[in-house]
Amino acid sequence: MMQDLAKRSRSITSLRDFLELLGDAGQAITWSERVMPEPDVRNIAVAASRDANGAPAIVFDNIAGYPGKRTAVGVHGSWDNIALLLGRPKGTTIRELFFEIAGRWGDAAAQISTVPEGQAPVHECRIESGINLYDVLPVYRINEFDGGFYLGKASVASRDPEDPDNFGKQNVGIYRLQLQGPDSFTLMTIPSHDMGKQIMAAERTGLPLKIAVMLGNHPGLAVFAATPIGYEESEYSYASAMMGAPIRLTRSGNGIDILADSEIVIEAEMQLGERVLEGPFGEFPGSYSGVRKAPIFKVTAISHRKNPIFENIYIGRGWTEHDTLIGLHTSAPIYAQLRQNFPEVTAVNALYQHGLTGIISVKNRMAGFAKTVALRALSTPHGVMYLKNLIMVDADVDPFDLNQVMWALSTRTRADDIIVLPNMPAVPIDPSAVVPGKGHRLIIDATSYLPPDPVGEAHLVTPPTGPDIDELSKKIRAMQLGAVQ
Amino acid sequence: MSKTVCPRCATGGALDDYQGKEGGKVVWTIHRCPTCCFSWRDSEPASAIGIGTRSADFAVDAANFDRYVKILQQ
Ligand SMILES: [Zn+2]
Repeated sequence: MMQDLAKRSRSITSLRDFLELLGDAGQAITWSERVMPEPDVRNIAVAASRDANGAPAIVFDNIAGYPGKRTAVGVHGSWDNIALLLGRPKGTTIRELFFEIAGRWGDAAAQISTVPEGQAPVHECRIESGINLYDVLPVYRINEFDGGFYLGKASVASRDPEDPDNFGKQNVGIYRLQLQGPDSFTLMTIPSHDMGKQIMAAERTGLPLKIAVMLGNHPGLAVFAATPIGYEESEYSYASAMMGAPIRLTRSGNGIDILADSEIVIEAEMQLGERVLEGPFGEFPGSYSGVRKAPIFKVTAISHRKNPIFENIYIGRGWTEHDTLIGLHTSAPIYAQLRQNFPEVTAVNALYQHGLTGIISVKNRMAGFAKTVALRALSTPHGVMYLKNLIMVDADVDPFDLNQVMWALSTRTRADDIIVLPNMPAVPIDPSAVVPGKGHRLIIDATSYLPPDPVGEAHLVTPPTGPDIDELSKKIRAMQLGAVQ
Repeated sequence: MSKTVCPRCATGGALDDYQGKEGGKVVWTIHRCPTCCFSWRDSEPASAIGIGTRSADFAVDAANFDRYVKILQQ
């Protein structure tokens, strides 16, 4: 059973394959009751997000005014869906999924194959004139006060304008795109992101910047291409290695390497030096971004599969698909980086709002050691901007089980033993900042006391834990499910 | 210039970008304001697109565009 799941996971080449796999596992549903684009699609996506463990992907095929078109949301919207993507059964714990991802690093080599453009499913249908994005994309307003219709789950591929032949320097990343009329869209990024660097390089040199926007992609790409890896590493190679499976590429009409099996690809060129108003957009901290002047791209062509599926995401105040999509892959690099110096670290949970709150399990080497580890976490690449609140717990506390974390907070924390680091760097999008980009950090040490700490340690109850108990709790769940059938 | 007024910046002249149709009948129209770049569908709830009912917190001041920051400056 487990081997079959792993094999099937490795055979996924497209969104369609994955939706079929999810459907077979009871993790995808088709919503055929007629819905309005607003507010119905948003309402249904938000209602599904309440079940972080088990929510299905939802494919809408009867949206008013969009006859014959399909929209998918929640493809990565639950831990069960993430488990199936990684070749693990439904009911796999978050902790197990975390170690599945953490264990895959350096495990396998990339397997990239190339499909001739004439044979690539993504190029089945081609539009080069009379372009109207609304003809192809059944868009809807994701959050009520967004400035327009957004593509929230687009993987954008581009070549370095100054080194266009370098495969590794191609960038693939997820950026939010706002439609700006039938053949234009804005792209939001920051100078430190790869796309931000490429836009600034193009405007500095006057060289053209062409991009390919991929929608409805191999589900591994969205998980693994959202990771900050080195600028010269290919996200395609990385995603293939992490999935342990081949990735099929082809060329877009404007010469960029794209996934051969995506549902839709929009080819576009940046309008050098131009900016138009973008936003607001309901972002992952659960607050709206402001209105800013962003670069605008003009669409030059669209390719799509027959009867394409437009994939989008609900993002806003958590819990949302965005949290399950990026959570584990935010946590695992911090864990790996901490373990290089501190093997006492046993797990890292940075699931909450992209790591604005993190929970780290660590075995104290000496009194106060957890605080040292917390300070190291703040200097990891993600920690520099994101890890705002850190909760340090003992190695035998599962940081993914909030009931256990609350036990640690309730019984281990002393209010005079917390650390506040004022005026640190902060991610500008954090709504709690006094000044965007600058804020305070909090470290709560909820680990056990050790000598020479003068406070005597209570004799703790040590309930049975470990894989045997994990198996027993799954067995109880299975017996319970069997009893109702 | 069209008479359609933008619910975000209260400027006229909005464009018609697309019409959703079923059996040849128009179900809704997507408009876009060339002044503040707001796009909306005329079938959306009044809380999002109604002039006067939409939250003033999300209004854009068409007379004062300088307040909006330009991203990615050299
Ligand atoms: Zn306007």
